[in-house]
Amino acid sequence: MIRFEGAAKRHPDGTVAVEGLDLEVPAGRTTVLVGPSGCGKTTILRMVNRMVTPTAGRVLLDGADVAGLDAAKLRRGIGYVIQQAGLFPQRRVLDNIATVPYLLGWDRKRARARAAEMLELVGLPPETGRRYPFQLSGGQQQRVGVARALAADPPVLLMDEPFSAVDPVVRAGLQEELLRLQAELHKTVLFVTHDIDEAVRLGDQVVVLRDHGHIAQRADPHTLLTSPADQDVTAFLGPGRGLRGLGLVPATGVELDGLGRADGWELALDAEGRPTGWTGPDGQLQGPAPVFVPARDSLHAALDAAVLSPSGLAVAVDAETGRAVGTVSRAGILGALAAGAAAAGTSTGTSAGTAKVPGGRQP
Amino acid sequence: MTDEPLVRWGWIGSHLAYLRDLTLDHAVIALVPVLIALVIAVPLGLLCTRFPRLYQPVALVFNVVYALPGVAVFVVLIPYTGLATRTTVMIPLTCYALAVLVPATVDGLRAVPEALRQSATAMGYGPWRRLAAVELPAAVSYVVAGLRVAAVSSISLAAVGALIGRGGLGYLFIDGFQRTFPTPIVAGIVLVAALALVTDLALVLALRLLAPWAAHERRATRRQRGATQ
Repeated sequence: MIRFEGAAKRHPDGTVAVEGLDLEVPAGRTTVLVGPSGCGKTTILRMVNRMVTPTAGRVLLDGADVAGLDAAKLRRGIGYVIQQAGLFPQRRVLDNIATVPYLLGWDRKRARARAAEMLELVGLPPETGRRYPFQLSGGQQQRVGVARALAADPPVLLMDEPFSAVDPVVRAGLQEELLRLQAELHKTVLFVTHDIDEAVRLGDQVVVLRDHGHIAQRADPHTLLTSPADQDVTAFLGPGRGLRGLGLVPATGVELDGLGRADGWELALDAEGRPTGWTGPDGQLQGPAPVFVPARDSLHAALDAAVLSPSGLAVAVDAETGRAVGTVSRAGILGALAAGAAAAGTSTGTSAGTAKVPGGRQP
Repeated sequence: MTDEPLVRWGWIGSHLAYLRDLTLDHAVIALVPVLIALVIAVPLGLLCTRFPRLYQPVALVFNVVYALPGVAVFVVLIPYTGLATRTTVMIPLTCYALAVLVPATVDGLRAVPEALRQSATAMGYGPWRRLAAVELPAAVSYVVAGLRVAAVSSISLAAVGALIGRGGLGYLFIDGFQRTFPTPIVAGIVLVAALALVTDLALVLALRLLAPWAAHERRATRRQRGATQ
């Protein structure tokens, strides 16, 4: 666990980056610092690995003041990922990933074996290991950056806008990958971004900052979207909060109807029982039928499928076989939302009120 | 002189071994100082990067030395290191090479992207280790660019050593001038140019083989600079 106690940073020229921050970053969870540029979020992040020394207050890592720890040793125990990846141009990918193990004095064979494991963990093919960083795409470089940060298995991971420099499609892939990794590894992640959608998608806890590192609101994503603390937070969240919140609710609670017909539309299936489209009253087949996977997708994805469907029904399919298991109307999905909101309302006190939905499509 | 052809091939044919020995001597006199300068310039460049206040005085000293005429330096050195010795010629050449290589190393280290420095620090490199293990290799294309300039100019300057009796191919110029016999002068010019060309190509090739990433890095840096201007 990381704890900030009145941590402040005043530059020698008198400007204040952070003014007395009190914050707890729970172990094994993802905490996202989000705010406009210049709000001090990067400064806060860097206080943890002593790249910034607080001018007042202190930062505790598992109860120990980081100021009292050896800087280099401290940093080897904390993973760090930045926007430009910061890979070493002169080292092949595998040796880049093995950087911290080498620094910790592991022998070459063991460090390389570990690096190869990490490469696989972040979803890159083994032959990537022999390449130089300049031979990789931006998204691949970021994956290597994450692999390098994880190589020595540090309990804490600091991520400073790691996905900001890649295009939206690649970014969505990287975010999904991080959710998958985190579900497996349970690191204490402190993540900085200026993108509120990214914050809501990745965070168990989202901390909205305003100038000088003042906390505007600290809440789980669902609470943040449904009850912003004030006008500023509402403005920062932007329009469409309600619909975006649907992306946080899993579609598992949706009650499915049979594969029948609706207003003259009939679901067409292939020999294996996979939906191919909807047959209209005029006998024309319109396909493909919009589908969602209840076990994996969010209510947002389910509603999206229902809105796109000519019959007004979203088709639920099995993740593995692709077979249709049922249909649900728009009203049915909104009904599930009401039930979900009631359930979430009972657990608002905890920081993890909503489940993360790795496959959930979001705007 | 009017009857004398520009090149007498017969003379060249009968002096092949002599020309080869002069070329080898010239290569040693010109290039050993560059290697010595490299060995000095890299730590000095690291030091000037770690303590930026050192850089201006150091650069000033080498610029002044660079401005001194070679002949004048030879005259000063002769009482200590002897007439017609390699040492007398190689000392000023080393200083000239340093005047090129120290700024090249410092510029290269300063051009290392901030993101690279930050991520190295964040992974637990101390300042010295980071400079030597991360920043210096990242700056290698700048150092090699400096080496190319230093090597070629050293090959050209070494000929002046002939004035005190140790200038490799430079001796051909004095010989040809004194005898109003152009053949050795032409041979000297061609061999000096050839030596410079071969050395330069060798350095380019060495960079390609040892640092395949470097050519790309320089291109990327130039693109970035172009974009910000």
